[in-house]
Amino acid sequence: MTTITDDTTAAPLVLADSLDLTAAAPLAAELLAARGKPATLDASGVQRMGAQCLQVLLAARALWSSDGLPWRVVDPSPEFADAAALMGCPDLALATAVQD
Amino acid sequence: MDPLAAIRETFFQECEEQLAELENGLLAMEAGDTDPETINAVFRAVHSIKGGAGAFSLEALVRFAHVFETALDEMRSGRLAPTNEVLKTLLRAADVLADHVRAAHDGSAVDEAHTAELAEELKALDPNGATAGEESEGEEDWGDFEFKPMSVDVPAAPAGPSGWRVSFKPRADLYAKANEAALLLRELGRLGQTTVELDASGLPALTELDPEAAYLAWTVTVTGDADETSIREVFEFVDGDCELEVSPLAAVAAEGEASATPVEDPGETLDIGALLARVQAVAEPPSPQQVPPAAPAPAAVATPADPSSPPDGQGQPRKPEAGATIRVDLERVDRLIDLVGELVINQAMLSQRVMEAGFARASGVAMGLDELEQLTREIQDSVMAIRAQPVKSVFQRMPRLVREVAAMTGKPVRLVTEGEGTEVDKTVIERLADPLTHMIRNAIDHGLESPEKRAAAGKPAEGVVRLTAAHRSGRIVIEVADDGGGINRERVKSIAIEKGLVAPDAALSDEEIDNLIFMPGFSTASEVSDISGRGVGMDVVRRSIQALGGRITISSRPGKGSTFTMSLPLTLAVLDGMVVSVQGQTLVAPITAIVETLLPKAGDVHSLGGSARVIAIRDTYVPLIDVGMALGYRAGPLDATQGVALLIEGEGGARAALLVDAIQGQRQVVIKSLEANYRQVPGVAAATILGDGRVALILDIDTIVAVSRGADSLRAEKRLAATG
Repeated sequence: MTTITDDTTAAPLVLADSLDLTAAAPLAAELLAARGKPATLDASGVQRMGAQCLQVLLAARALWSSDGLPWRVVDPSPEFADAAALMGCPDLALATAVQD
Repeated sequence: MDPLAAIRETFFQECEEQLAELENGLLAMEAGDTDPETINAVFRAVHSIKGGAGAFSLEALVRFAHVFETALDEMRSGRLAPTNEVLKTLLRAADVLADHVRAAHDGSAVDEAHTAELAEELKALDPNGATAGEESEGEEDWGDFEFKPMSVDVPAAPAGPSGWRVSFKPRADLYAKANEAALLLRELGRLGQTTVELDASGLPALTELDPEAAYLAWTVTVTGDADETSIREVFEFVDGDCELEVSPLAAVAAEGEASATPVEDPGETLDIGALLARVQAVAEPPSPQQVPPAAPAPAAVATPADPSSPPDGQGQPRKPEAGATIRVDLERVDRLIDLVGELVINQAMLSQRVMEAGFARASGVAMGLDELEQLTREIQDSVMAIRAQPVKSVFQRMPRLVREVAAMTGKPVRLVTEGEGTEVDKTVIERLADPLTHMIRNAIDHGLESPEKRAAAGKPAEGVVRLTAAHRSGRIVIEVADDGGGINRERVKSIAIEKGLVAPDAALSDEEIDNLIFMPGFSTASEVSDISGRGVGMDVVRRSIQALGGRITISSRPGKGSTFTMSLPLTLAVLDGMVVSVQGQTLVAPITAIVETLLPKAGDVHSLGGSARVIAIRDTYVPLIDVGMALGYRAGPLDATQGVALLIEGEGGARAALLVDAIQGQRQVVIKSLEANYRQVPGVAAATILGDGRVALILDIDTIVAVSRGADSLRAEKRLAATG
């Protein structure tokens, strides 16, 4: 599941194990720094995710979408998928890009 | 102490307060208090205990508190009426809750069977539980349901689209306090089938986003048999840090997709929310008039909203007002009190030296000293007030005791308490609990007659035990009175003879016989009962009261009941005293006991033979007691005209005059216990240190009066011991 078949050149952004409250600000900063390039997020190591990181990810996804750049989450861990579904946005964990 | 243990300790302290609040509220409701705030306070108490217990994983406590809280929530929302029966169950549940708290605190075991029994009783109170068809007795309620076309289907009705819609929007504070929306959603998921809808409409662009703010909101549909309480419980720790709305699914459905469910009569449609509302209203016994009797079905359809569903936020416990109190380690308070005591003594010594140095009264030094004295006094009063507490904290343990003893003995008892607000030093309060417990047990077990006997005596079946507290003569007087048969003196005497406590031919007054029950080894119960006969008797009670510098007396009237009166010092620290001299000794008489002082005239004093004298004060004669003789300072009586008489009033209201040589003055003295530093001396209550550094004894006026009159239990005891 690590194969990236797209034309993405940027190295995947590896999400932290624990996407809790304290991880929100660094995550936002990291994403903002990565703006302007297609985003590939490696969610394979995520053990938990809270609502504040979800906020950041959703806002980032919207931003990439408005920038017209691809946004991907690859290899989501079951925990990541579960947390996303729990918080009402199961599509966040979908590996395919969502252009909305 | 490690921090967690300290927090845990604080939790248990708070539990005690909450339990007291709970019991008070329930008792107030039992007495007819219908203020919604009282119900809220009761609910909050249980809710807080549960919340804290949850944090410490005290599962048994949480479980029971939950059932309890559910019943209270029903009451709070008006679905359960606070009838006497219901309140009795709730009071017993409060007892069980207290047991659980105590068990959790000291690791002791709880009576599981009793807990389960009470939990069942509580569940049975819940009208929702009844509608769910779990409780067979719930069916009786349906018998009264007059709405014919629906009555058959009612029990099945809640099986329909039961569920809740939970709208939840966290505020930033929720996250700041380390709570997590995801966990709350997960908890909700445990209550039943959930559908989560995320509302991210408030989410700004990433560039604008504050990562620690809260932008998301959720709407969760929970289906299944979860009740509102359990849903709200999920959010109990984030109360106030989120916007929360819980509405029944049926009511939500009624707004738009109203389901028209044909019932028996196919011509009529029925709204499930309205039906539930009607059912709940009918199930509510005391206000049946709220339901239009046998209203036609269309009327029901016309009222789709569930009137009993709480409006927004009502289901949440109101935040208790922030109490303006702090907890202080008792040791610090005691240290402060000690120091203030020293300050008082020091200030008195300083005054004395200034006086001796010959400063004029109007001099700056003397005036400054007066101000210092006033200030010292205020400081002292304020410091004493820190330790003073209302006796309520002891009194409120008694209703439970009464309930239990009443149940064990099969005697219906009503406990009446008065003067709970009477304040007394914390040490006194703490040491009151045991003697009071014992006395109340005794009053019910031995004092009150069986209902049959009461009926035969023309008394109401329900016995009354009265527990009162009041300030009197600078002391606190606590009475435990029952309206039972009074002391059976013949029986008491024969038991005392049988046990060799008195000689068979001893001639005893009624009072002396009554006082026999305070003798060590005396117990009237011929069989040791579970309740009061534990081998310790009233002698233990008396000893513990005496150890507090108090006295206990008994008065009994055959057929009318007995009254035990305890008189205790308000504080064990200071006293306003009149400093007197007797035969060269300086003594202190508590000022609160002194009614007036007078210089006896020769014609007013009469001898009654022996050394007994009386003095005429206006229209009455009162005994004149020579303090010097009573305490053994002199052998012969002082010429009354050479001294000063202090007219005093004892606890029973009896007056006497104490003859002393002279009055030195009046001042506040710091009490130093004689028992603790030396031993108990009859006639002396304590000692103090005067301004000149000398020790002065504080008179125990009641004992002096009683000893001099020869009617004292102390002397009776001596005599009995001599005869026995």
